Amino acid sequence: MNIPVRPPEGENRRAWPADVDAAVPYWVYTDPAIYAEELQKIWYAPHWLYVGLECELAEVGDWKTTTLGEKPCVMVRSGEDEISVVENRCAHKGVKFCQTRTGHSKELICPYHQWSYALNGDLQGVPFRRGVKRQGGMPSDFDPKDHSLNKLRVEVVNGVVWATFSDETPPFREYLGEKFWKHYTRVYDGRKLEVLGYNRQHIPANWKQMQENIKDPYHAGLLHVFFATFGLFRADQKSAVDIDDEGRHGILISRKGEQEKTEAMADIRNFQGDLVLEDPRVMDVVQEFPGEETVGMITIFPSVILQQQVNSLTTRQIVPKGPGGFDFHWTHWCYADDTPEMRLRRTRQANLFGPAGFVSADDGEVLEMTQQGAAGSPDEHFILQMGGREIAPTDHQVTETAVRGMYRYWRKVMGL
Amino acid sequence: MIIARDEIRDLYDAYYGVLDDVDLHAWPDFFTEDCLYRVIPRENHEAGYTLCTMQAESRGMLKDRVTGLTRTQMYAPRYYRRFPTAPRVTAQDEASVSVRHNLLVVQTLVDKQSDIILSAVCHDRIVRDGDRLRFVERVVVFDSEMIPNSLVYPA
Repeated sequence: MNIPVRPPEGENRRAWPADVDAAVPYWVYTDPAIYAEELQKIWYAPHWLYVGLECELAEVGDWKTTTLGEKPCVMVRSGEDEISVVENRCAHKGVKFCQTRTGHSKELICPYHQWSYALNGDLQGVPFRRGVKRQGGMPSDFDPKDHSLNKLRVEVVNGVVWATFSDETPPFREYLGEKFWKHYTRVYDGRKLEVLGYNRQHIPANWKQMQENIKDPYHAGLLHVFFATFGLFRADQKSAVDIDDEGRHGILISRKGEQEKTEAMADIRNFQGDLVLEDPRVMDVVQEFPGEETVGMITIFPSVILQQQVNSLTTRQIVPKGPGGFDFHWTHWCYADDTPEMRLRRTRQANLFGPAGFVSADDGEVLEMTQQGAAGSPDEHFILQMGGREIAPTDHQVTETAVRGMYRYWRKVMGL
Repeated sequence: MIIARDEIRDLYDAYYGVLDDVDLHAWPDFFTEDCLYRVIPRENHEAGYTLCTMQAESRGMLKDRVTGLTRTQMYAPRYYRRFPTAPRVTAQDEASVSVRHNLLVVQTLVDKQSDIILSAVCHDRIVRDGDRLRFVERVVVFDSEMIPNSLVYPA
């Protein structure tokens, strides 16, 4: 028996499986009406969205374009100690005025009618506002103060720039919750960061799938033969899954093991015990964070994954592009005080990640295949029973608990 | 170093032939033991970042890339076909020849229209290594801003 969750009549009729926490219908991936609601109720609602790294803007006047939800935005250093995030949409005709990825300017100027804005988004100049030879011009009630760029609320937290469209979003630390503040500051500890480079890919799958993927430790040692074989992430290792009280954020924690055949390996069909790397420098791992954990994969709902996988540190930004796809922007970074050896190590380990990653390419592929399977059967559902039906932190990784947590939160904010 | 244009052409014909035929195990042998292989986004290259989408610093790492592709990675079946322009010798010294050319890599997935996966320029350095020519350096700088999902095979 399914539970009707949408108006039960008409073409938008939708039902949620009776096994509420452990089953999710495929229309969450495919329905354009649901997607349009997600933009309003999630992306433009009280959630913090990842914008970029503070170190990407060195000087006052430096800016970087990005997309939050579906809205083009600019992150700009508007003062020595101030970063602004504004919509990249001229208040006059809607022109996306910044077209390059990065730039530097004293003000933001739209090329169409030369409207100019201060770096914080205030409208400063409207050509011919008073007319020419007493002809034309804006009406007397035109007030530039009413026509600034849309300004987002911003918090810069230990080198990462976050923004939100909503006035109701709680402060970032509260948004994370104390547990996740601790997880976050384990890596983003206040040291200065530096960009190592970028990777960008379009994954033809619903954006939530990416969040699910990094909330699902069950797949990591199975799909990723590379991980399992070289002991980077495997079911038999000491590990944990933590979720915040709302169920929206998650972290997968694990500890590197050796390339060895263990009892758990019987279930891993593709384990390659004889596989040897010709040049193992890519696996030259050093322990750099406190504790014994070597992996901390954080999902901050809805927009980003903060990756610490051995010495590879990345932010992976999700930009939704309709129900059936998202752009995935990887920023690989290091600490500003890293030695040249450490930078090289992080750069080498990047071979595991990104669109050609020994590990991450598997994810892009399997997400696309999932979308293909789901698209034809919106009213069927997938199951999330691994580890039971509870939604709670665990001290193992044979569980889908964090995915269940995300969907419970998702149903709450979507009103379903 | 005296390397004739015909030899360079033959090298590229053989190199792209091997890749188009997915004869992956023959691929690392086109490189010297110590080599540098990079497939790198243009924005990284221009900013002076060395972070790559695919990178190898030795023939061994190239072999590991083949191992990944043949034994550990999971990906949907596909064809890649490479369309290089004619090589242009840009510099020549006693040790090596520098060659530059454009490269288009077209990907075809089952049930899908063919797609450009890379639009790139290749900066190669070629040496005589024993009885054959090999790449000591190959840096594929791609303009493509958004890779259509995965970059599976090498360029």
